[in-house]
Amino acid sequence: MAIARDVASPELTADRTADEARRRALGRMLRRYVPIAIGAAMALAMVVMAAAAPWIAPMSPSAQFADAVLKGPGAQDRHVLGTDEFGRDIYSRVIWGARVSLQVGLASVIFAFALGVPLGILAGFQGRRTETIIMRASDMLQAFPTLLLALIIVTAMGGTLGNEILAIGIALTPNFARLARSLSLTIREQDYILAARALGSGQLRLMARHVFPNALYALVVVGTLYIATAIRTEASLSFLGLGIPPPTPSWGNILSEGRQYIKCCPWITTFSGLAIMLAVLAFNLVGDSLRDLLDPRLKGE
Amino acid sequence: MISYVLRRLLVAIPMLLGAMSIVFFAMRVLPGDPCVAMMGDQATTEALADCTKNLGLNRPLPVQYADYIWRSIRFDFGNSFRQGYPVNEYIGRMFPHTLILVLAAAVVAALVGVPIGIISALKRRNPLIDYPLRIFALLGLSMPVFWLGILLLIFFSLRLDLFPLIGGGDLDGVMAMIRSGEFLTQPRDFLAAVGDVLHHLTLPALALGFTLAATVSRLSRSAMLEVISQDYIRTARAKGQGERAVVYKHALRNMMVPLLTIIGLFVAIALTGTVLTETVFTRPGLGKMLVDAIGARDYPLAQGAITVFTMIIITVNLGVDMLYAVVDPRITYR
Repeated sequence: MAIARDVASPELTADRTADEARRRALGRMLRRYVPIAIGAAMALAMVVMAAAAPWIAPMSPSAQFADAVLKGPGAQDRHVLGTDEFGRDIYSRVIWGARVSLQVGLASVIFAFALGVPLGILAGFQGRRTETIIMRASDMLQAFPTLLLALIIVTAMGGTLGNEILAIGIALTPNFARLARSLSLTIREQDYILAARALGSGQLRLMARHVFPNALYALVVVGTLYIATAIRTEASLSFLGLGIPPPTPSWGNILSEGRQYIKCCPWITTFSGLAIMLAVLAFNLVGDSLRDLLDPRLKGE
Repeated sequence: MISYVLRRLLVAIPMLLGAMSIVFFAMRVLPGDPCVAMMGDQATTEALADCTKNLGLNRPLPVQYADYIWRSIRFDFGNSFRQGYPVNEYIGRMFPHTLILVLAAAVVAALVGVPIGIISALKRRNPLIDYPLRIFALLGLSMPVFWLGILLLIFFSLRLDLFPLIGGGDLDGVMAMIRSGEFLTQPRDFLAAVGDVLHHLTLPALALGFTLAATVSRLSRSAMLEVISQDYIRTARAKGQGERAVVYKHALRNMMVPLLTIIGLFVAIALTGTVLTETVFTRPGLGKMLVDAIGARDYPLAQGAITVFTMIIITVNLGVDMLYAVVDPRITYR
């Protein structure tokens, strides 16, 4: 069942009936687009959930019900996923928690993209000292794992939405700078750059009009994967008690608060964690499928 | 080769210095005063001033910075603000806990991840095998380690009562027995102590190992794909070698280089993972120590922990780069 053998034997291809070829093409289509469709649908659902939280959530995330403290799923016929120690509705809190996760996830990646990509393109395109300085700074930041760096920054500045975005954004920036640099190193050598240069384009115009658009697709693919990383990092920070402080609900802090009650009330941690996993999974699935489409090695399959 | 090693070392030094500076200044802009954190809001102004002076926090910032860098170079991270004894000692005590967690998680990750990666690369055209494996990898990749940890705790510790809820076992005792030679004279006690440590280690290692297995399986899948599409594989097949010989004799051997890359990446991810894993399982270790130190505004302890983390990662990456040349003679360094 090895790829080299299949591709290399022409009679096998010739023997294929038209019917089989059609079935294979359909299989290929399904394999290629079903995962991305599922991932995109899940991601979209998350975004809608976050944006429309006030209308979707059945109750206020901060409303306390004295008759339903630490009650399991289905309590009083109104708390679908149960309640926490203050009698707050977990379902509503998880829906509102999507706001924090997605805001941080999207905004921090946009931040890292906006800062890292120009620097990376500049480094790759200009070379020499510019490259050395930018890449050394990037190496230094990259010596820290994402969570550790975000943890340091957020501890220093305090856990607010803006600071979390900034912290995770800075921690992700070197990844974008590195990728943008390596892409622009390749693009720099292309004939169309030479042609544009011959036509009199300046450095800035070359980078903005030629290098950037040609690197964009790969950057967006990887960006999608980093949204997943950013959401997970935000949840981790909140779990460690360094993110947005309660009572504002975030998936990480719901889970963190629920930790004390895992003995009696495991639903608090179970559902908030499930939300984190599904959100991360959605963006991983989209990013992964996009990358498979991009990767020429896998294209023949 | 030697000049390459020296040059890499020279590059590593400013990286480490930069990382340490980031940590130092980040800790200084922290809201909250370590003395207030230690003595509470009720402390008198005089007592607070006294405390600030004792901790050396009244000195100008550049002086504190120079002092910190100079001491760190000599592996002296000062005394913990809270406990009073040297940070070194604290790190030395916590390090073995983190080390066995990372090693045990690495074993789990390798046992689960590498076979899955290789099988899914070889059988990638069989959707019945490839798909479940890829879904497994995606799930592992998306599952936060602290959530998996909690689920394991709920099920295995609370429901089934098979494993302890908190703690790391008496690792200090085990090490003391090894050092004093007691493990030979009282083998039964020793084995009981080791068993207890392993009992505490099981769930954390499974949680961390499983989330890492996903990364390992993906990396080994792409490593295998990379190798299998090489010309020498086609040559081996063309000369009529069986699939088994092709995989074992040609493909696996050439996977050593990508495998080293995996190990380098692995250490960084695993160390980050210990911060969350140790917190969720309330287990002693460097990661838990860091989180607690940040909460207590214990600057020296937090600085020490982060510096050690960074040093480990930089050193491992350096080592991996060097090993490339050993494993693959084609790679030469100028």
